[in-house]
Amino acid sequence: MKKLRIKIDLFIEKVLVLLLSAMVLNVLYQIFTRYFTSNPSSFTDELSRFLMIWLGVLGAAYVSGKKKHVSINLLQSKLGHQFKKNIEIFVSIILIIFSFNVLVLGGFNLVYITFVLDQYSPSLNLSMSIVYSVIPLSGILIIFYEMCNNLK
Amino acid sequence: CDQNNDIKLIRIGHGLDTNHSVHKAMIMVNNQLLRLSDGKMKLEIYPNQQLGSERECLELLQIGSLDLTKVSAAVLENFAPKVKVFGLPYLFENKEHYFKVLDGPIGKELLEEGEKYLFKGLGYYDSGSRSFYSREKKIEKPSDLNGLKIRVQESNTAFEMIRSLGGSPTPISWGELYTSLQQGVVDAAENNTPSFYLSKHYEVCKYYIVDEHNMIPDVILSSTNLWNNLTINERKWLQEAVNLSIPFQRELWIKSEEESMRAIINSGVEIIYPDKDLFKKASLTMYDKLKKDTEINDLIARIKDEKIKN
Amino acid sequence: MEIFPVLILIISFFVLTFAGTPIAWGIAISSTLTIIFSIPFLPSLTTIAQQMATSLDSFSLIAIPFFILSGKIMTYGGIAKRLIDFAKSIIGALPGGLALINIVSSMLMGAIAGSAMASASAMGSIIGPEMEKEGYPKEYGAAVNITSATIGLVIPPSNILIVYSLASGGVSVAALFLAGYIPGILTGIFLMIVSIFIAKTKGYKSTVKTSLLLIFKKFIIAFPSLFLLFIIIGGIVSGFFTATEASGIAVLYTFLLAFIYKEIKFNDFSKILLEASITSSIVMLLIATSMSMSWVISFENIPQELSNFLVNLSDNKLIILIIINLFILFVGIFMDITPAVLIFTPIFLPIVQSIGIDPIQFGIMLVLNLCIGLCTPPVGSVLFVGVGVAGTSIEKVFKPLFPLLISMIFSLFLITFFPKITLWLPEIFNLYNP
Ligand code: NA
Ligand code: NA
Repeated sequence: MKKLRIKIDLFIEKVLVLLLSAMVLNVLYQIFTRYFTSNPSSFTDELSRFLMIWLGVLGAAYVSGKKKHVSINLLQSKLGHQFKKNIEIFVSIILIIFSFNVLVLGGFNLVYITFVLDQYSPSLNLSMSIVYSVIPLSGILIIFYEMCNNLK
Repeated sequence: CDQNNDIKLIRIGHGLDTNHSVHKAMIMVNNQLLRLSDGKMKLEIYPNQQLGSERECLELLQIGSLDLTKVSAAVLENFAPKVKVFGLPYLFENKEHYFKVLDGPIGKELLEEGEKYLFKGLGYYDSGSRSFYSREKKIEKPSDLNGLKIRVQESNTAFEMIRSLGGSPTPISWGELYTSLQQGVVDAAENNTPSFYLSKHYEVCKYYIVDEHNMIPDVILSSTNLWNNLTINERKWLQEAVNLSIPFQRELWIKSEEESMRAIINSGVEIIYPDKDLFKKASLTMYDKLKKDTEINDLIARIKDEKIKN
Repeated sequence: MEIFPVLILIISFFVLTFAGTPIAWGIAISSTLTIIFSIPFLPSLTTIAQQMATSLDSFSLIAIPFFILSGKIMTYGGIAKRLIDFAKSIIGALPGGLALINIVSSMLMGAIAGSAMASASAMGSIIGPEMEKEGYPKEYGAAVNITSATIGLVIPPSNILIVYSLASGGVSVAALFLAGYIPGILTGIFLMIVSIFIAKTKGYKSTVKTSLLLIFKKFIIAFPSLFLLFIIIGGIVSGFFTATEASGIAVLYTFLLAFIYKEIKFNDFSKILLEASITSSIVMLLIATSMSMSWVISFENIPQELSNFLVNLSDNKLIILIIINLFILFVGIFMDITPAVLIFTPIFLPIVQSIGIDPIQFGIMLVLNLCIGLCTPPVGSVLFVGVGVAGTSIEKVFKPLFPLLISMIFSLFLITFFPKITLWLPEIFNLYNP
């Protein structure tokens, strides 16, 4: 599990770097086409928004695994070791329940609806189900990370 | 709390201000619904994009967390492709032709088109005809659009239409448009008169060009989730209430068009009435491109046919 | 008023937060718990997921990861250091000089990158040790660093003003940026006055020597970095590009500059990009879940109820403004700035607009107010970073922090009651039409 995790982490890191770089290049290209060609790009706006959904949601899962999201530990630092441990497990379980229900179930339902109903984006003509698929994906990742963090 | 359970609460979200004819018409729907159902059905209205943009509200309908919404047919085309026919330039000869199609069998057919996509159309509100407005450049004929950066809605049909007329379609969100026009990120935009006025875009544009290139109706939609959960009577009441609000909204719309036009003229914007035939001719290339799409082509022919029948 | 959903929302949020759940997830979980009582189960879950995704579906928000990225490049690429040297040459010789350098550098840095946390960690790690060397107590240095870092949120470019533009339904980012200048600089000046006063009473001297020639030299060295400010704000105001595009230009420019300065190698960029994506993801998740909570709050009709309550309380403009400010101050103590802006803008903006307050002024007021909360325990992200970098504790920092916070509150007071301070610049550049 540990080895798998390292591999997954490395892979996500690469994807994140790629997403952010693509966003920058995409916006620079948008400025370029507006000033130096007679035909301003019509897809860059939409593409960067979709890249950001991916960056934000996938990155959120990665950061969750690294426990880098902002949280308050004032109460925890005042408690005994065992109690602190119990609370940490409680928070982990809550997060797993949430990820399973909202991100995996809700997210998958969203992907399913947009897929079955043939919903395409206006300018790239991309299936919205692809854009939304990052939600259940991140949900699964968070559950995996929470398990790793508690089982070691 | 117990009596609440007897009242069917229906939630409707839209993106417009509470002074807009659409919001006022929805208030009327609520009043009619209360009357027809003897107080058993009630509308809760969420204006001002409180529950999201038109596209998001439509998704909420499909998800089943929102009951009703109002969207422009331009937004609808990404969900129900046939509806893109409304985005075509100079599809309708005049307003009479337009309403005749909307209120006739073709309009009804398109309302039902949504059922495959988990929503059901209940009726059309008027949203006037769309025209160009530009910050600096006087536009009198299609060639004046050459090289102009023109803001369009998020719709492929709108992109194609601007291209067919010779402009460069540029996507800018509606919220960013005021400053974009002011600072020259785009040269022109297009919309109906009340939107031009209410968005204050007239403050940063010199010309309003009444070329009336298309008429895209607003559509009232119900989620099939709601519709399937209503009894036959409840459906009748809801449809009836919406039907009653339609002439009311269309009347209000005309009034708001007139008021906006007056206000725009008073503010010093120059109104240009170009030769519409020139624009109509230029836009024909767009119809040529659609020749392959038999479904749409068929629809176009039937719509044109409505005019001749009488 | 339906009190049940409100209670679920607030209680679950507090329980989760104090149990140590990451704040962003806490917001999402309490929103989900609230909405499942109003609509069926699967639609509830799907709606929260959909809101999380669609709230990131905004072109203006893209400026946020870009400004974060350019901020990182500045810190690693030697650009921040050159700005500090320049600030040092101007005001370093005054009493409490190093504290003043910290404030001015934060203002300059804040004027180029949009993030207070980046500014707090950059300035804290560069100036902090110097301050300690010269005999300033660690806690005092940290307090100055923390408060001054937040000014960067008001001075453009500012990520949080972009967030406000989104929450307000499209107040012009260009107008907000211009509006932030005077309030930001004013707040900086108040902080400097307090610092000079403290330095005099505590006897902190300055060992920095300066001359006109030195100022000129340092200015030349810092010029390419300062020029970025001109490109970004000038580009936005003149209409050469939108705020988002300007942030892309900022990335390109800092990238080229860092390359010319040769302080980072090409290979370092993937590390910097990763760090920037991580910081961005933290902010993005807060935005995504806060927007979901905002949706739930709207769905439960809470804004209307609250606004009816407030309007019935008083019809005096000043009293309503004071109540709202006190409320936001209270919110800021417990909540991070991004969710607070996203959740409370839709609630308060219609109220203040109905009493004749311009959305631009309200935005600056709201952000400055919440900046104060960023420096206070228990929830204050800049406080956490500042304390962490300085290696001290929240309890110790609070005392020196207090007078500085008072000066920020004073500035907030002026900005609330004198709209001209905020609206004058946008008016000059024709971005505000009363
Ligand atoms: Na800033
Ligand atoms: Na705080």
